[in-house]
Amino acid sequence: MTLTQRGAHRAADRAINARCAAIHRPVIAIAFTVAVVLALSGCRSGAPPLRFPPGAMVLNLAAISDVPTLDPAAGYDVESWMFEQMIFDTLVRYSDAGVDLVPDLATSWESSPDATVFTFHLRRAARFTNGRTVTSADFKYAIERVLDPATRSKGMEYYRGIAGAADFIAHRAKSVAGIATPDPWTIAFHLAARDPIFLQKLAMPFAAAVPREAVEKWGEDFSRHVVGSGPFMLRQWLGGQRIVVVKNPDYFIKRVPRLDAVVESIGVSDDLQWFKFEAGEIDVSNIPPAVFPYVMKTPRLRDLTLRIVTVTTRYLGMNCQMPPFTDDRVRRAFNYAVNKPKLIAVLNGRGIVANGVMPPGLPGYDPHLTGYSYDPARARQLLEQAGLGRGFEATLWMPADQTMMILGQSIQQDLDLVGVHLMLKAVAFAPFLEAIRQPKTVPLFFSGWEADFPDPANFLDVLLSRKQWGGNNDAFFSDPRVEALLAEAAPLSDLARRYAIYREAERIVVSDAPWVFLYYPITYEIQQPWVHGYVLNPMRPARLENVWLSPHPAS
Amino acid sequence: MKFRLNAMEAAGAVMVLSLVTVAILAPWLAPFDPTRAVANTFGDPGSPSHMFPLGTDQLGRDVLSRIIYGARISLIVGVAAMAVTMTIGVTIGLASGFFGGAIDFVLMRFTDVMLTLPALLLAMAFVAVLRPSIWSILLVIGLVSWTQIARVVRAEALTMTQRDFVTAARALGAPSSRLIARHVMPNVMPIIVVMAVLGVSGTLLLDAGLSFLTLGVPPPTPSWGRMIEEATTYFRTAPWLAIFPGLAIFYAVLGFNLLGYGFLRRRRRAGSALQ
Repeated sequence: MTLTQRGAHRAADRAINARCAAIHRPVIAIAFTVAVVLALSGCRSGAPPLRFPPGAMVLNLAAISDVPTLDPAAGYDVESWMFEQMIFDTLVRYSDAGVDLVPDLATSWESSPDATVFTFHLRRAARFTNGRTVTSADFKYAIERVLDPATRSKGMEYYRGIAGAADFIAHRAKSVAGIATPDPWTIAFHLAARDPIFLQKLAMPFAAAVPREAVEKWGEDFSRHVVGSGPFMLRQWLGGQRIVVVKNPDYFIKRVPRLDAVVESIGVSDDLQWFKFEAGEIDVSNIPPAVFPYVMKTPRLRDLTLRIVTVTTRYLGMNCQMPPFTDDRVRRAFNYAVNKPKLIAVLNGRGIVANGVMPPGLPGYDPHLTGYSYDPARARQLLEQAGLGRGFEATLWMPADQTMMILGQSIQQDLDLVGVHLMLKAVAFAPFLEAIRQPKTVPLFFSGWEADFPDPANFLDVLLSRKQWGGNNDAFFSDPRVEALLAEAAPLSDLARRYAIYREAERIVVSDAPWVFLYYPITYEIQQPWVHGYVLNPMRPARLENVWLSPHPAS
Repeated sequence: MKFRLNAMEAAGAVMVLSLVTVAILAPWLAPFDPTRAVANTFGDPGSPSHMFPLGTDQLGRDVLSRIIYGARISLIVGVAAMAVTMTIGVTIGLASGFFGGAIDFVLMRFTDVMLTLPALLLAMAFVAVLRPSIWSILLVIGLVSWTQIARVVRAEALTMTQRDFVTAARALGAPSSRLIARHVMPNVMPIIVVMAVLGVSGTLLLDAGLSFLTLGVPPPTPSWGRMIEEATTYFRTAPWLAIFPGLAIFYAVLGFNLLGYGFLRRRRRAGSALQ
């Protein structure tokens, strides 16, 4: 998804990632004032103190904003997903540290040779925390609930491809014909067309098993009274103050989770998180930009950091329909003119120079792709060939955010050296997104994309195909060769061939250069020395069921 | 009568004049282009050295040159915004004090409402709507900081209007415009000058505050407030990045305040001599 929408709470390079948080500075300031007032009034009434038995293993976390929802049909942001994946189970899920799929509630699965039927075999030992056994009907119910227009789930689009989904959505059928549950331990999905990433769609929390009786009992309030089968269960959720989940003693894996509870304090800014971390009050923390260089220069702290290259690409989009960017020589010149290693240095190393569209963590990534080196002489030459040797003015639109502004100024310096006078136009995120989607409105913009699925289609199709004009293809790029390759690759489930074709398409995109390929961001978090088993995932919030704590002062 | 500066005025005048000199002569005084990278200290600000006495920032720019050029923006914004402030404040204050009655009531209640709103918050709201540029900053600072001036000018105008010489002029048939321009205004002028000089330091701080919130003059134009904002990342590892522009703001504010309080003291003395 476009970074800023979901990246809001992603850990360390959040200054950039979290556009949405940082962009509306005035709004934030007002919201902050309100939050302070609320927090103060909260102090007066006083949150009831938490009591755990002595020796309980409790992981303390903190976050700036409240969890939007715990209802798997509704949540579509990092913060919600973090807790949803603790409380609920899907059929399959991503491994702790990777983007490969591993069993969750399904023990095994198979797909038909034409990749239109997926059959899953379920664990028999899994129970909801209300005591009832999880069966195939619960998964069917969960997906039908997401598809039901009355639920207004943002996940609806992902399951439309199941046979009979359209009829169900239009209320012509009482259930989705394409989901078969021959027995309580088997569920089969029949797809209307091939979908090589259907498994990944089932790994989204939207498809988590939910008990119908609890959903129907609580209705809109289900989010506050969630019942799942996951390793943790909700104990307490004081809006705007704290959320507490405790160990599910009946979880289907014995001796998991190892933690007795996870407590997240809400309303704690990154800077405040840092102070709490230094005081030993929280166990894992984001690293605010204001202390990142200090942490990296202090060996004791640097050794406590965790690092992950996210499945994200950041780029400058150049609107291929607006002069002078209609000329590919100008677009290539910009790629040569921008000093990317300098950007990485300015980011204090929180990134890898981008050579192309697909980031390194993405299956299908092309390690042999050579991008554009920093070569201002070449850039000037190309600009001269394009008849722009005397220089010109351009405006770079960007979300208003401290780190972005610094990067923007770095690019401004670089382009100045090849005669391009760049103006920076900082815009709040919502109008920014609206503007870049309009045809022939924004010539040059700073953007980024974080993978929803570990598949090249999620970058190349979504960001660079003709059908995404006005959607996510904000460079308004279109190339018949690329279109043909995308169409050819889309249905392929032979991964080697699939990736080879996407790589070919990527090479054309890189040489046509609708973007200045900037960098792949790296996220950092920091953990106390007594935290064990905490690993960052390149695409999802970290999972906590295998985390444990050794004895420490605060416990 | 010989015009002699008191100590405060002298100190303030020297400081303000030195700032004006630096601002005017910036291209000759600054050792480097303030926007270009002159050192290879990307992401790792260079500490003060022989070549770069105040160090270099995370984009390799010379901090000294940026502070020198920043004086231009600060002075232009400080003085021009004060002009806007004065125009609004004096107009409203004079009208309110001179005409009194319903006009006074309406204008002063409006002023009260404006006074209840925190200036920085209001300025942020305005800038967000107008989009940051040097002109919008001037306008916005003027729009949020005229209230004090209006109150003071009104009080002065009110007492002046009741003085005998004004009554005399009115009895001779002078129209309101002449009364204000020739009789009230000149007598309110000293306090206006004092308020204006003192107010410049306030607008300087407001400008720095807005720049700190990235709502100031857009980059790459160097501004002291933005320099501090950009230095936040390096508070712990390169504190000089924030300290030097902070000192520059301190110097400018102190200079204008000394000058202003010097004027104020002179006025008080003159006042006591009359009584």
